[in-house]
Amino acid sequence: MISLVRAELRKYFTTRLSWSMPLAMAVLGGLFAALQGLFLAVIGEFPGPDGSMIVPAEAFGEDVVARLVYTGGVQIGYLLALVLGILSMSGEFRHKTITATLLAAPRRGQLIAAKLASVAVIVAVNSVAFTLGSVVGGGLTLALGDASLFPDPAGLLATFARMILVLVLWGLMGFGLGVLITNQVVALFVGVGVTLLVEPLLGLGLTFVEQLADASKFFPSQASMSALDLFAGVDPGMAQSLGGAQDALSWGWGTLVLLGYAAFMAALGWLLTSRRDVA
Amino acid sequence: MTTPPAPSPLGTGISVRGLTKTFGSFTAVDDLSFEVAPARVTGFLGPNGAGKTTTLRMLLGLVRPTSGEALIGGRRYADLPAPMGTVGAALEATGFHPGRSGRNHLRVLAASHGIPDRRVDELLELVGIPAAARKKAGGYSMGMRQRLGLAAALLGDPDVLLLDEPANGLDPEGIRWMRGFMRHLAQEQGKTVLVSSHLLGEVEQTVEDVVIIANGRMARQGTIDELRGEPAVLVRVADPAGLARVLQEAGLDVQPEDGGLRVTGADGACIGEAAHAAGHPVHELRPLRTDLERLFLELTESPEHRNRNLATGTEAA
Ligand SMILES: Nc1ncnc2c1ncn2[C@@H]1O[C@H](COP(=O)(O)OP(=O)(O)O)[C@@H](O)[C@H]1O
Ligand SMILES: [Mg+2]
Repeated sequence: MISLVRAELRKYFTTRLSWSMPLAMAVLGGLFAALQGLFLAVIGEFPGPDGSMIVPAEAFGEDVVARLVYTGGVQIGYLLALVLGILSMSGEFRHKTITATLLAAPRRGQLIAAKLASVAVIVAVNSVAFTLGSVVGGGLTLALGDASLFPDPAGLLATFARMILVLVLWGLMGFGLGVLITNQVVALFVGVGVTLLVEPLLGLGLTFVEQLADASKFFPSQASMSALDLFAGVDPGMAQSLGGAQDALSWGWGTLVLLGYAAFMAALGWLLTSRRDVA
Repeated sequence: MTTPPAPSPLGTGISVRGLTKTFGSFTAVDDLSFEVAPARVTGFLGPNGAGKTTTLRMLLGLVRPTSGEALIGGRRYADLPAPMGTVGAALEATGFHPGRSGRNHLRVLAASHGIPDRRVDELLELVGIPAAARKKAGGYSMGMRQRLGLAAALLGDPDVLLLDEPANGLDPEGIRWMRGFMRHLAQEQGKTVLVSSHLLGEVEQTVEDVVIIANGRMARQGTIDELRGEPAVLVRVADPAGLARVLQEAGLDVQPEDGGLRVTGADGACIGEAAHAAGHPVHELRPLRTDLERLFLELTESPEHRNRNLATGTEAA
């Protein structure tokens, strides 16, 4: 079992993806965090719902501003984590390496377990690159806006840990998707499309249905934001003005919901793989 | 449930019993049964689309049989404790990640069985691609891929080798090398080799036993000598009846065929000399197809078999 995980990790570390992906993670993380910092610290004010200007540093405190800035790219981060998860299995079908893989690991349950473990490790490593990029990019604009860089170090560390966890869970969701849709291009298209387009539109649509208006907080993206717990200690109304959901899940529930999605997708992947003919 | 037998000193055999696979309404492999003897080279022959690859994939647990079983050393592939140490397989359409080097491809497989990198380099040397294997697999020729596939199959030093059309894409030199290699594996290392081909000539000189399938069904099996029958020669002369008497007196079996004589029991040189000595100028003298060649040609040429692949499309529609 350990040797199968080692084989899976070796697969990842012997292609270009092993340096291009962390690089993309770090750069994009830095870029989006810098952008967030530009709005929250450098410009430092924006119109609130009632028309009066809100100054984030005063309204939420430095802690929240730093948290928001450093996690500014989290959407792109979990999208890339999703991609990493998808590639784990769909890449095997695309390049027809699945035959060699199954000959080396014919007990399919073990293969899936090894792949899940390796996706978790790989996404975690990439998440660290992502976090480092975000700290550099976000730190730059925070410094430019004369804001405090690490107002609450322990709290920030917890935020980073949560961000890495969220990314890992997205990676596991992607893994299931890659098993479900073995055509890599279609799988990537569906994964990114659902996250960026279908989920927000569905969420918007649901706000018009009274009984379901609450449902969108259980969607992966919204649950991810809850799991990050960015608005701890902030008045919910104020949080909404910064993009927080109405009546959001607590961070514990958000994490559990994500874990549920990941477990469901992984189980689906296991079920499909154990029955599939590889011809 | 059969209990797995203790490893036999004679090596590991293969048994296929009542194996059937249907894809939708199409039966690719149809109630196939055969045994592959340990430490021998067995040819698994049949026209394209006969079901060879599907059978090998079922042996390896890649395709789930509709019914029947396919066992290696008495066990299913997935039940072998260290599968690559018992069975090595080089299958058709096995891919390589274009951005990963051949050497790293092997290192990935090696990691799954705790095989050291040293063994990877040994094998690359053995199959003759030590330098090229450090380049990305995307640029490999068919011959390189075949050799890399073979190296992958040998990685765990298995008792049994399953090779699916290993000569495909090899140049004549490569085919000669492959033949010698298979003989070496069976004769000197006592490995059981099952090698598939849609061309009889490719494996004829190498194999000891033959299993021939067509339409997913067993067509013929036996040792190659049995199936080949006695070698026969066609000889043409101006007076066939006269020569026939001479040859029959020499104890040879003679039958009229195609205006000439079909002679079994002696090679062309003997017959030519006998004809010359008896004063019959020889017009033509050539070896005839063996029974095996004739059978194989029949299977390949018959329209029923040739159209099988096309028929699948219409059946599915
Ligand atoms: N996954 C599949 N789905 C449908 N038909 C298949 C599949 N795999 C093989 N076949 C069909 O089964 C038949 C046997 O194929 P194969 O085992 O590859 O033959 P061979 O290796 O002898 O050329 C062919 O007609 C092929 O088209
Ligand atoms: Mg084939």
